[in-house]
Amino acid sequence: MADDPDSNEQAPRWRRDFPIGWESDHYVSRRELAKFLTLGSALLVGASFAIALVGKLRRAVPASAARIPGGAALGIGESLLFRYPTDEDPCILVRDHEGQLNAYSQVCTHLSCAVVYRPGEETLFCPCHHGYFSCGEGLPTAGPPTRRLPRIQLEERAGELFAVGVKV
Amino acid sequence: METRRQGLSLMTALCLLIGTLLVIQLWLVAASLDALYAGDVGVLVPAALVSLGMFAVNGFLLWYGADFDRRLKRVRRR
Ligand code: FES
Repeated sequence: MADDPDSNEQAPRWRRDFPIGWESDHYVSRRELAKFLTLGSALLVGASFAIALVGKLRRAVPASAARIPGGAALGIGESLLFRYPTDEDPCILVRDHEGQLNAYSQVCTHLSCAVVYRPGEETLFCPCHHGYFSCGEGLPTAGPPTRRLPRIQLEERAGELFAVGVKV
Repeated sequence: METRRQGLSLMTALCLLIGTLLVIQLWLVAASLDALYAGDVGVLVPAALVSLGMFAVNGFLLWYGADFDRRLKRVRRR
């Protein structure tokens, strides 16, 4: 090993007897680290494509219309919980003080706690980290959330209220 | 002629470069997740393709390191 100081004739005897090739040692460990990092890079590519695939599948599922029982009869300043588009998607329907009906996903866009309606303040409130959303648009107005609540599109048909789509 | 000392510098540089790209890829995954939840699905495929490009660069860097390693072994055997 021409470039290894431990095998150098000038090195002390103890060093020649018990050579520790630090340079070789570091060389090998960094080579292995480079391999390990590249493996991590491959995994992250997989993760990115998996996320893209989930995005594609999500978009591919069209939401069908679903009746919201009792939705049309909701009083001013009241709210009603329902599920849309699947049984795993909690939503909240609110009739504000102007009589306007608005429906949103109940899942807070910060860390997914359930938002509740605060009639006095005309806001949707998330108790987990005190996040606030406006009732009219679902926009974040205070606290940690930065994205709006997905809006549930509503339609009235023959006196019944229907959820007909989700607008993110 | 390749030496271990050169190899050590090379491997250190490779680790730094690959590591930097890896951190950017990690950021891309986090940003993609955020975009997915925000319903901004249009950016997901481009982000995945950029990540793939970075992996290709990482693969090339690793290949370069492995090639250096092979040449080094040949020199040391002589
Ligand atoms: S989960 Fe709603 S504010 Fe954090």
